[in-house]
Amino acid sequence: MVVPLNTWVLISNFKLAYNLLRRPDGSFNRHLAEFLDRKVLANANPVDGVFSFDVIIDRGTSVYSRIYRPVNAEEPQPSIVDLEKPLSADIVPVIIFFHGGSFAHSSANSAIYDTLCRRLVVNCEAVVVSVNYRRAPENRYPCAYEDGWTALKWVNSRPWLQSKKDSKVHIYMAGDSSGGNIVHHVAVKAVESGIEVLGNILLNPMFAGEKRTESEKRLDGKYFVTIQDRDWYWRAFLPEGEDRDHPACNPFGPNGKSLEGIKFPKSLVVVAGLDLLQDWQMAYAEGLEKAGQKVKLLYLKQATIGFYLLPNNNHFYTVMDEISSFVSSDR
Amino acid sequence: MAPPRYDSAISAASCSGSSSSSSSSCAAGKLTPPQEIDGLLADAGYKVRSSDLRQVAQRLERLETVMVNAPSEISQLATDAVHYNPSDIASWVDSLLSELSQPPLPLPSDLSDFSDLNYVDSLVGPAINPTVVNNEWTDLHAPQQQQTVPQLLTVVTAMEEDSGIRLVHMLMTCAEAVQRGDFPLAGSLIDEMQGLLTRVNTGCGIGKVAKHFIEALRRRVFTPQGLCSAAGGGAGSTNEYEFLYHHFYEACPYLKFAHFTANQAILEAFDGHDCVHVIDFNLMHGLQWPALIQALALRPGGPPLLRLTGIGPPSSDGRDSLREIGLRLNELARSVNVQFAFRGVAASRLEDVKPWMLQVSPKEAVAVNSIMQLHRLLGAPPSRNSPIEVVLAWIRSLNPKIVTVVEQEANHNQPEFLNRFTESLYYYSTMFDSLEACPLQPEKAVAEVYIQKEICNILCCEGAARLERHEPLAKWRTRLGEAGFRPLHLGSNAFKQASMLLTLFSAAGYCVEENEGCLTLGWHSRPLIAASAWEALPLPPLPDGSDPIRIINQNVL
Repeated sequence: MVVPLNTWVLISNFKLAYNLLRRPDGSFNRHLAEFLDRKVLANANPVDGVFSFDVIIDRGTSVYSRIYRPVNAEEPQPSIVDLEKPLSADIVPVIIFFHGGSFAHSSANSAIYDTLCRRLVVNCEAVVVSVNYRRAPENRYPCAYEDGWTALKWVNSRPWLQSKKDSKVHIYMAGDSSGGNIVHHVAVKAVESGIEVLGNILLNPMFAGEKRTESEKRLDGKYFVTIQDRDWYWRAFLPEGEDRDHPACNPFGPNGKSLEGIKFPKSLVVVAGLDLLQDWQMAYAEGLEKAGQKVKLLYLKQATIGFYLLPNNNHFYTVMDEISSFVSSDR
Repeated sequence: MAPPRYDSAISAASCSGSSSSSSSSCAAGKLTPPQEIDGLLADAGYKVRSSDLRQVAQRLERLETVMVNAPSEISQLATDAVHYNPSDIASWVDSLLSELSQPPLPLPSDLSDFSDLNYVDSLVGPAINPTVVNNEWTDLHAPQQQQTVPQLLTVVTAMEEDSGIRLVHMLMTCAEAVQRGDFPLAGSLIDEMQGLLTRVNTGCGIGKVAKHFIEALRRRVFTPQGLCSAAGGGAGSTNEYEFLYHHFYEACPYLKFAHFTANQAILEAFDGHDCVHVIDFNLMHGLQWPALIQALALRPGGPPLLRLTGIGPPSSDGRDSLREIGLRLNELARSVNVQFAFRGVAASRLEDVKPWMLQVSPKEAVAVNSIMQLHRLLGAPPSRNSPIEVVLAWIRSLNPKIVTVVEQEANHNQPEFLNRFTESLYYYSTMFDSLEACPLQPEKAVAEVYIQKEICNILCCEGAARLERHEPLAKWRTRLGEAGFRPLHLGSNAFKQASMLLTLFSAAGYCVEENEGCLTLGWHSRPLIAASAWEALPLPPLPDGSDPIRIINQNVL
C-alpha cells in the first residue's frame, strides 16, 4: 500500500510529534503542542476567491469561530463593512465545520484546517464556519459538544447568514475525526431543540466502544494510528472513570439513545479503508439506517486517515464532489 | 500487512484527478528545480524542498524506529529537549535524532538501511500541486504573498447593531474622502459621526474603537499641521510619554512579553561570558532590566560583570533622568551582588547615536535590545544612507552576540492613507478588545490614551513626524537579512515560559504563537507584537586585510 510522499511526510510528522505530547499519566503537553502546531492568520483580503475573519462567539469560554466566505463577483475586494454583509444568493449553504485532532489537537487556525475549509468554500460555493472548540484533556466531555451547540445557535441567529429565498440559514455540519463525532452529538441536540440542520458530513469520524473490533485488531499500528493512542484520547476526553461504551463515543452502543422516529438530518459518512476505526464508523452508519434515518456511506478502500488534507489523491476529489452534491440538493 | 510506504510516483499517477490546473505540474519526465518548496506542505505550514522529501521521509522513519526502541526517552524529548522552528521538518527531526544521540542520515541517503521500502522510481516529482510555491530555500525574503494584504481579526461585539454598522460605514467613507483630498465631505462626515457616537456605547466594542478613529480623522482634517511637530510627532513632553508608557505596560501584557522574551534570549546568549554589555535603545524607566539582573545573579557559576548603556531622549525638565534610572538599577544590582556599570546616552533620535558613544569593548559580549524602536527609523526614502540602514550597519559593526528586536506585528507603513486606515482599524480594534479584560484603573484609561497617540501618529502625521511606521515580521526578516544578520531561533522553552506567565498574569484570550523561529503575542488568533533575535554574520575583512570592526570603532564621526 502506498501513499503520496508528501502526505506520508505530513502524517508521520504529526504522528511522531503527537507521540511526544501524550503523557502516560494522561496529561498533555499543551505548551509544546501549541508551539509545534502550524497556524495561519485569518485574511479579509481574498486569496483564491475566499476571505476569512474571526469572531468571538462566546467570551466566557473564549471560543471563536473562523468564518470563510466566497468572494462576490461584484465586490472582489470586501472592506470591513462587507465582512458580515448579507448573503446575496437565493440559497447559500452554511457549513459549520469541526476540525479533527482526536479532541486534543489542532485549532480552527491550524494551517491544515484553514486550507481544508477554504477548499470547501470553493467546492461547495458555501460559507464555512470553523469552530475553535475547547479541547481535552483540559476540557473534557461535554465541553466540545457545548461549544458546538453554541456555534450552531450563533450561526442560526445571524441575519446575514440567511439565504434570500426563505430568510433562513441553511445549515450543514461537517467534521473529521473528533469533529465528526461532535457533528453527531450537536445534531442530536439540534433536533431536541428544534433547530433545523439540513445535513451531517462525517469524515473518518471518531467513534469507539469497549469491544475490540476486527478492523482495530487488524490495522493496529499499520497506518499511522494505534489502538493505544485511540484509548489515550478517549480517556482524556470522557469523564474520569467512564469506559468506551459511554454514549459520547458509542452512540449506538449499550448506553446509547434511540434515534427512531425523530427528524435527524441526512448523513454522509466517509470511511477510509485503511482506518482502524472503520468497523465503528460503519456500525454508526448502520445504526442510523436501523433507526430509519437517511444515510449515505462512502467507503474508500485504499484511503488512509488524513487523505482529505492534501489534494494529491483521487479520494480527495471524490469526497469533495460528494460533499458538494450533498449540500446542494436543495438549490 | 506492511506499514504504509510512500511512493513519489503516486503523484504522477493521480494526475487524472479533476483539478484542471494540475496537468501542467505532472509532466513525469520533468525534473523539479532543486530549490522548489513542496506547495502542498507549504499550505500545511511546513517548508520542505521537493527534492528533500525522500530524505525527510527516511529521517522520520529513523526517528520513529529510535522512539519505538527507547520509549523512556520520549518523555525526556518532550520535557527537556528544546524544539526550534517546527516549520523546517528536516531540521526538527534531525535535532530530535541528535537529542537521542542518533546522527542524521548522510547525504545522499543510503537505501540499503531501508531495504524493504517500495520505491517505484528514484525520481522525486512534484506532488499534484496547482499552487507550487517558487520560493528559494535560502530566501530570507518575504514570500510572494503581497505584504499590502491586510491580515485581519474582526473582534465583533456589536457590529450588527445598526448604529455600529453605520459608524463603520461612515468611518470608511470618511477615510476614502480624506484619501481623495475631499476635506469638506470628510469634515461633514466627522460631524455626523460624532453625533452618532452619542447614541452608541463608547465604553466598549465598536463604539470605543470608532470614537478613537473619529478623533484621529478629526485631527487629520481640522488641525493638519499643528499636531505633528518635528520632535516626536506630537507626543508631548518626555515625562508625559513615560507616564503613558508605564500605564500601557501595566494594563496589558504586550510590553511585559517583549521584555521577558528578549531577556530570555539575552540570558542564553550571555552564557559563558564574564563581561557582558547590554545596549538598550529606549531605556524609559528601565523596566526590562531588574529581571535580567536578577537572572544573571542566579546564574550557575556566578554573575558576569554587567554594563548597561541606556539610550533615551534628553529630559525636558533639566533632570538627568537616564542617570537616575541608572542609579536605581545600580542599587538593585549591588543588592544581588552583580557588578554593574551604567552609562546613559541622551539622543532625541536613534539615528543621532554614533557607535563610539557606546564605548563597546572587544572583550565583552554585546546584546543590542530594541523594543519598538527600529520602525521609527523608516521615515526617509530608501537610499544608501537611510537612517535604518545606517543604524543597522553600526549595530553590526559592534559585533553583537545577540540583537533582540520586538516590533508591532502590523502593516502601518503603507504610503496610501486608506490602506493605513484599514490596517490600523483592524489592528487597534483587536488591541482595544484585549484591553477590555483589564481590571486596573486608571491604567486601562491611560493605556487607551497611549494607544490613541499611536493611532494619531499613524493617521495624522507625514514625513519625519510620522514615527509609528510599523511593518510586519516578514519585512523585518528581509531587512535584517539584507543588513547582514541571521536569525537566532526562539525555542519551545521560551514559548512555554511566555505562555505560562501569560496564564498567571493576564486574561484568557492572549495567545503566544511560534512563527518560524520568532514568537508573537496576540489576542485570540491575531498576533499583535512579534519578538525575534538575531546575530550578526561576520563582516568580511577589508581588502587590505584589516579588521573592519576596529576601523569603525576608531572613526571620529
